[in-house]
Amino acid sequence: MAWYDEDSFLTRGLGPYLSTILITALIAFTLPVFLHFFIFRAKTPTSLPTFLVIGPSGSGKTSLVTLFEKGAPSPTHLSQSPLSVRVSLPSTTKAASSKYRSENDPTLKLEKPLLLVDTPGHGKLRHFGLEHLNATPNLKGIIYVVDAASIPSSSTGSSSESGLADAAEYLHDILLVLQKRYTTAKSSKGPKDVPVLIAANKLDLFTALPAPLLKTSLEKEISRVRETRAKGLLTAGSGDADADDRGWLGEGGESKFEFRQMEEVNVPVQVVGGNVLGSEGPDVDKWWDWIGSKL
Amino acid sequence: MLDSFEILSTSGVVLWSKTYVPIGPSVVNSLIKDVFIEGRNAAAPDESRGPKPTYKKDKYTLKWTTAKDLGLIFVAVYQSLLHLSWVDELLDNIRALFTGLYGEQLKKSKSSAISVKFDSYFDRQVQELEKTGETTSARHEDSASDVQFTPPSTSSDADPSADELPPPIPGLRKADLARPISRDDNSTDVTPIPTPETSRPTTPAVNNHLLTAKGGPGGRGSRRSRKAASSSSAQASSGDESPARRGKGTAGKAAAKKMRKWDAEGMADEDDGTTLDYSGAASGGEMPAANVEEIRQDTWGRKTKKGEFVLKDLDEEMDSIIAASKEKQAAASEEGSSGLMGQGIGAISGLFRNVVGGKKLTKDDLVKPLKAMEDHLLNKNVAREAAVQLCQSVETELIGSKTATFTSMDTTIRAAMNTALIKILTPTTSLDLLRVVEATRKSRPFVISIVGVNGVGKSTNLSKLAFFFLQNQYRVLIAAGDTFRSGAVEQLRVHVRNLKELTKREGGEVDIFERGYGKDAANIAKDAVQFAAEQHYDVVLIDTAGRRHNDTRLMSSLEKFAKLAQPDKIFMVGEALVGTDSVAQARNFNDSFGPGRGLDGFVVSKCDTVGDMVGTLVSMVFATGIPIVFLGVGQHYSDLRGFSVAWAVQLLMS
Repeated sequence: MAWYDEDSFLTRGLGPYLSTILITALIAFTLPVFLHFFIFRAKTPTSLPTFLVIGPSGSGKTSLVTLFEKGAPSPTHLSQSPLSVRVSLPSTTKAASSKYRSENDPTLKLEKPLLLVDTPGHGKLRHFGLEHLNATPNLKGIIYVVDAASIPSSSTGSSSESGLADAAEYLHDILLVLQKRYTTAKSSKGPKDVPVLIAANKLDLFTALPAPLLKTSLEKEISRVRETRAKGLLTAGSGDADADDRGWLGEGGESKFEFRQMEEVNVPVQVVGGNVLGSEGPDVDKWWDWIGSKL
Repeated sequence: MLDSFEILSTSGVVLWSKTYVPIGPSVVNSLIKDVFIEGRNAAAPDESRGPKPTYKKDKYTLKWTTAKDLGLIFVAVYQSLLHLSWVDELLDNIRALFTGLYGEQLKKSKSSAISVKFDSYFDRQVQELEKTGETTSARHEDSASDVQFTPPSTSSDADPSADELPPPIPGLRKADLARPISRDDNSTDVTPIPTPETSRPTTPAVNNHLLTAKGGPGGRGSRRSRKAASSSSAQASSGDESPARRGKGTAGKAAAKKMRKWDAEGMADEDDGTTLDYSGAASGGEMPAANVEEIRQDTWGRKTKKGEFVLKDLDEEMDSIIAASKEKQAAASEEGSSGLMGQGIGAISGLFRNVVGGKKLTKDDLVKPLKAMEDHLLNKNVAREAAVQLCQSVETELIGSKTATFTSMDTTIRAAMNTALIKILTPTTSLDLLRVVEATRKSRPFVISIVGVNGVGKSTNLSKLAFFFLQNQYRVLIAAGDTFRSGAVEQLRVHVRNLKELTKREGGEVDIFERGYGKDAANIAKDAVQFAAEQHYDVVLIDTAGRRHNDTRLMSSLEKFAKLAQPDKIFMVGEALVGTDSVAQARNFNDSFGPGRGLDGFVVSKCDTVGDMVGTLVSMVFATGIPIVFLGVGQHYSDLRGFSVAWAVQLLMS
């Protein structure tokens, strides 16, 4: 049976037979659908407004995230991997986008979903957090959680206490990345602003530093960090050309670093206190308000 | 016995836990930190304690297993004194059960929490394994174990039928279905069915919670039976009851617990509220009341049987889940031998998935590419030990995971190796030396000493460090601690002279502290620190004689040196040129300063001579977990660089 015979499959396959048409149509119509489900199943179609939860180890990031999700914090251990959690704004908090809505507007009752990305705070795993800073689509803000009880007030403890140094250094790195994001932006408008909330956690503890004091301590320590960074050695692999490229956070000159300086690079910083755990229950309403104001 | 059992996700959320004896969270935290994050202390499986890896912290022994694809870690904590042979099996079974029951729920992302009602499964498992453990090894302390967690029915002196009937075992939905059938099978009339149903709505717990409702009748019956047997034992039995409930109670059963309390206010001894409610509901008329009595008799008569049914269902479900997972494993291992046709299709779909992604990686898939990766690392001068270990860690991480969409296996392996290298090279704490020095500047001199094998460039790197400090306007004292090699002191003297010339204008100040040759280096170092404190120097840099790391006579003097000089930081200089020996060098030097003191960092010299073969960096950090602080990249005083992880990883993977 040669290929040009009446009954050979090639002739049938190219001829005007009903079966051929049906099979062709079936393949033509189902293949895209099949591919769609096979490949794009895992992809979420739209990206929710995302908040990055970041901070040193043991500051209560995962607890905060679980509290926001379920209303009660779960027991947690050291995190090893980032965790994305979909939460919705509580009805008591009003999103900034619905500022002008009437109280009786039914759309106000709809849940406002948002994504919280918890990152590990262990020294070896901070690259997760720093990578997310640039890679997250629709990043609405950063919640930097600090254990306010681990930071000694400047009057009592020496400045080299590890809790403060660690928190300040990590914050310095994050702010530097955000600043670089602004300064290296291609468009003249600059990237969207990324507000930072410094959540002073564990304020229920007696030894915790109140939010305003925490702010000054962090500012002071960050000034110190950027100074030693500038004096430090070049890192391997960077040529002499980009010696200036290491970055100086905030304004130049010898003046002290203040969080206010970050507003110039579209990074407004706010320090708000609260606590996730505690005998009188969590106190996170102000943090919710902050999130609401950024939505 | 078992102190605690926790199921946690890699993102740090405890999904389910059961604590028999409260232990702080620090024990599990240190396990995660040491084993999972820093990769240290991964003790080889101890033969006597079973094939699972163990970790010891304080007085506890921890055993764990992981479900990689779901990101779960199962940890069992028990006292190190005990010898629990069944913990391995428990871990395996619990893993199979938990992944079987909640795997689907866990796969749905964007959530940290799942509703878990796992207590009954776990308790049954522990009971079962304990029983087998007791039969196999008579060394168990029975009394302790019974008190700890077998439901108290065993410890109570009531009738043996109660043994088979742990009161609060909640039936599953399956059991729910099975029960009416079993009733019909029995010769009894239809009456038993309606009564529970009519009475059910009266008890709020039933409405709230199906599970506790199922548990209700059995428990009730047992108590009543005991009461019937001897009314005096009622108190004891109810007293026995409560710990069982408490032991089982978690969030899932809060409703049931509340109920009980509310009842107990009335008459704690009498019974829990369910009975009272039943009688109340039934006492609408006389006839129904009689009916109720009858039913009670019936339920009582069949109670053990019914209880068994419920139990059996739970057990059967557990067994089936475990068996299914075992089968799956077996199937996975035998997949290759499913005939020519199957193999062909498998190969084609494997190729397709290799391109498109979504391929589930097995050990066989990984063998070849990992071997290539190992060779690649060896070519980069990574010590064999480190390369093998790295590849193993990548393998364990990848087995069972799926490749992402449109990523081939090679890309996946490279990415995994990348993260493994970043993880190993990134220091745990900050390495900002200037900030540490600044902190002590006002009070005392900051002492840094440098050790290393002969000829690696200790003196050269020391003078580079001195230059670095001088540029930051510190007053530096260099102590000539090499009292052995001819010309060593003179060499340092030349360095100091040069540095003085170089930094005169910058405002730094440098001097040398020397006592000639032949003296004890430790004493010289001590004198130098004392001298620096008197003269208000900011930094003291102590040079030492080079020594072979496997010469115990030479290495032993380092302990005394560390004790007398009390250096703030001890850096070891290692060559980038050295290959496999770097592991032994790093280890021996790290161990030589006596207990409680180790190296604080590495300075890797001669990095400019090796090009991209910077494997030594990995080997040294791998061997000790101590970070690399500086790199020497040339012959000049300014050729000292900080270490950059990104740079090293990029060179290693190129």
